[in-house]
Amino acid sequence: MSNDTVKLTIDGQATEVPAGTSIWDAARELGIDIPVLCHSTRMRPVGVCRMCVVDTGARNLQASCVRPCEDGMEVDTRSEKVEKHRRMLLEMLLADYPEDSARDAATGDDELLNMARDYGITEVRLRDGASGRPQGVDLSSPVIAVDHQACILCDRCVRGCNELQHNDVITRSGKGYGTRIAFDLNTPMGESTCVSCGECMAVCPTGALTNRALADLKLEPLGSD
Amino acid sequence: MKLLQTMLALQEREGWLSDETLSQLAKETGEPLYRLEGLRSFYPVFQEEPGAKHVIEVCRDVVCRMHGAPAFHEELLQELRQDPDVEVREVSCLGRCEQAPVALVDHHHAASNATEVRLALDGQAQAHNVLQAVDAATDPYPTADAHYGMFKTLRDGAADAGRDTVIDELKASGLRGMGGAGFPTGMKWAFTRGAKGGPKQLVCNADESEPGTFKDRCIMETLPHLMIEGMIIGGWVVEAERGIIYLRHEYGEAAEILRRELVRARELGVLGPDAFGPGKPFDMEVFISPGGYILGEETALLEALEDKRGEPRNKPPFPTNVGLNGLPTLMNNVETFAAVPMILQNGGDWWQSQGTNDCPGLKYMAVSGDVAKPGVYCVPMGTTVTDLIARAGGVADGKQLLAFSPGGASTRFLPADKADTPLDFDAMQKAGSALGSGAFVAVAEGRDLLDLATAQARFFRNESCGKCVPCRVGSNKAVAMLEDALNGEVEDGLAELLHELDDTLAQTSICGLGQVALSPVTGVMELFPEVARRLGTKEDA
Ligand SMILES: Cc1cc2nc3c(=O)[nH]c(=O)nc-3n(C[C@H](O)[C@H](O)[C@H](O)COP(=O)(O)O)c2cc1C
Ligand code: SF4
Ligand code: SF4
Ligand code: FES
Ligand code: FES
Repeated sequence: MSNDTVKLTIDGQATEVPAGTSIWDAARELGIDIPVLCHSTRMRPVGVCRMCVVDTGARNLQASCVRPCEDGMEVDTRSEKVEKHRRMLLEMLLADYPEDSARDAATGDDELLNMARDYGITEVRLRDGASGRPQGVDLSSPVIAVDHQACILCDRCVRGCNELQHNDVITRSGKGYGTRIAFDLNTPMGESTCVSCGECMAVCPTGALTNRALADLKLEPLGSD
Repeated sequence: MKLLQTMLALQEREGWLSDETLSQLAKETGEPLYRLEGLRSFYPVFQEEPGAKHVIEVCRDVVCRMHGAPAFHEELLQELRQDPDVEVREVSCLGRCEQAPVALVDHHHAASNATEVRLALDGQAQAHNVLQAVDAATDPYPTADAHYGMFKTLRDGAADAGRDTVIDELKASGLRGMGGAGFPTGMKWAFTRGAKGGPKQLVCNADESEPGTFKDRCIMETLPHLMIEGMIIGGWVVEAERGIIYLRHEYGEAAEILRRELVRARELGVLGPDAFGPGKPFDMEVFISPGGYILGEETALLEALEDKRGEPRNKPPFPTNVGLNGLPTLMNNVETFAAVPMILQNGGDWWQSQGTNDCPGLKYMAVSGDVAKPGVYCVPMGTTVTDLIARAGGVADGKQLLAFSPGGASTRFLPADKADTPLDFDAMQKAGSALGSGAFVAVAEGRDLLDLATAQARFFRNESCGKCVPCRVGSNKAVAMLEDALNGEVEDGLAELLHELDDTLAQTSICGLGQVALSPVTGVMELFPEVARRLGTKEDA
């Protein structure tokens, strides 16, 4: 055994991994699936959705996609405590989610809605922000439909566009609850320097970025009501 | 630093950052447009519209709220409605809570009533009032000639062993970080000194922005040489070559005072090309924050210094190992650095002995709210709350104490019967709250604690960076429900839901802001039965 590996247990299974390995990766090696919304194996982890939290015995839960394994750690990936907080996180995201997800309707691979179904979440007790504070729709791109209301700010499109494709178009814009994704200097997608490579809509887990050709669009442009 | 400083200069020159300005900047620097948009939209100093000639920023946070801020804001709106040259906006705590309510005219002149605002608009602002700390007892120097003596002795006397002696002395003193977390300072210096990689980086966290906190402003304006000497000694110990003072932009006077002091330190040879000995340079500069409370979080601050959106990093790694530009970084609060010269002069044991009730050292407390004489008080650590209030002239208007928040917006309100608790990290924690950053707010009988706790939660919601789901969404939903409740609309299961939200924010948020955002609210629900009753706890249902 060298200094460059660490030993830990995950859900009772002992394992040894190179130092610096994330808990999420180590769990995957053992065949343990930890739910994710923001993480993708193709991308640098950012740890923003917090769905992948696990219990390491620390003061608070740790996001496994960004938390390096440590020697002697005992990780619990699905205790009632962990699942309780995951359910609350889903409830938060669903509270602001639009009635209709273009991705769910077209291809059925809306990761948020599918996860909510897995967790059996039928009731959202938090106040609905979708009606109170619509974030808007951008149909200026001929290829990609943008429904800001369905965006959960997972930063996958940001990383896909800038770090995988090096097209350098997408950013988070604003701060706090008002944050949304934006193109260039916050211009409509169709007028931005977007080259329509499609990476962002391919990696988007929700109905926020979808293929216009495929989607059964129930979206209406901003200011149409 | 360079990109944000350029953007700050453009904002200053043009009054806003137009798309044209940023497109031009993108061309000149090669930065992609999306990156500039990310920065422009994140930092409150940057404006996306030209705006009015004059700006009045009215503080909306808890201490000002207690002193009539909503009415003050309304009065200014009414009075200046007709004036197209003036824009009135609400902002977060301005760090001048002892003057509450406060508005800042044209980013510079503090005013506490409409007349003062008018005078400032007419170019007749009153002179800035430098606040002296009461009983300040941490300056080892009898005269200005003696300043920086401790550092000179270290530099000129001892060999390398001197660096470890400093760390030992700090450990012996029991000094803990005064920025809020109370981390043992000697240990932090040892970690940074021992970390692999270099050159080591040094940062002073002077972003003080938590409602009720203004002690760092007072230290910077009246004892700048102590903070700067503490930084120089820190730089010497970890063998850094430069230091950065990260200062909130609303502290214009402090910026001037610090810059003057840096010039003086260079003249005295304790900064500059030979500061650490012939050919061994050390220097520092003031970096003005483009705004936002979250930048006080140490890793968000580092992101800002790297010209990024100031969103906290996932930890570990910690800045002592991976900090500014990936290098080991020593970061301390203003008050922490300022305590160092005195501790080294008199020894760690002496510092220990300054406290009472078995608590080590001295503490600068910012005292505001319902006290007769709000201000900064330097007290022995371990002083009781009752004693502190007495020093500040007692509860205002001869009223009875209802509650107090010992250490800032994130620290829970405790009932008056806890006023015998000593001001100390451990004692306050045991009592169910925290010493935090030492922002003591007294609350007199007759106040609505649910309203005040909601104001704290609203502050955190307003200042959330938005990076992670629990804080971004949870703080918003909780505040919306609390505001309904204050208007008498209490939904079934509200108390239960607020506790659940608090728990999820505490357990899953990335940084301290989200982790504590709802703690003041659940705190008043747990400790004050009348608040719990209003929110319909299960017991009462
Ligand atoms: C949201 C947030 C805001 C903070 N703001 C400040 C601040 O304004 N000044 C400060 O010194 N520390 C602040 N801190 C604490 C810093 O992260 C860090 O712990 C501190 O600067 C370390 O210095 P110290 O050890 O001397 O206290 C903040 C922490 C959080 C989570
Ligand atoms: S648009 Fe999609 S990929 Fe981009 S941040 Fe929003 S949810 Fe994530
Ligand atoms: S807890 Fe809040 S302030 Fe901290 S990273 Fe998350 S969103 Fe940002
Ligand atoms: S998957 Fe780890 S935080 Fe989103
Ligand atoms: S200046 Fe208003 S609360 Fe601090």
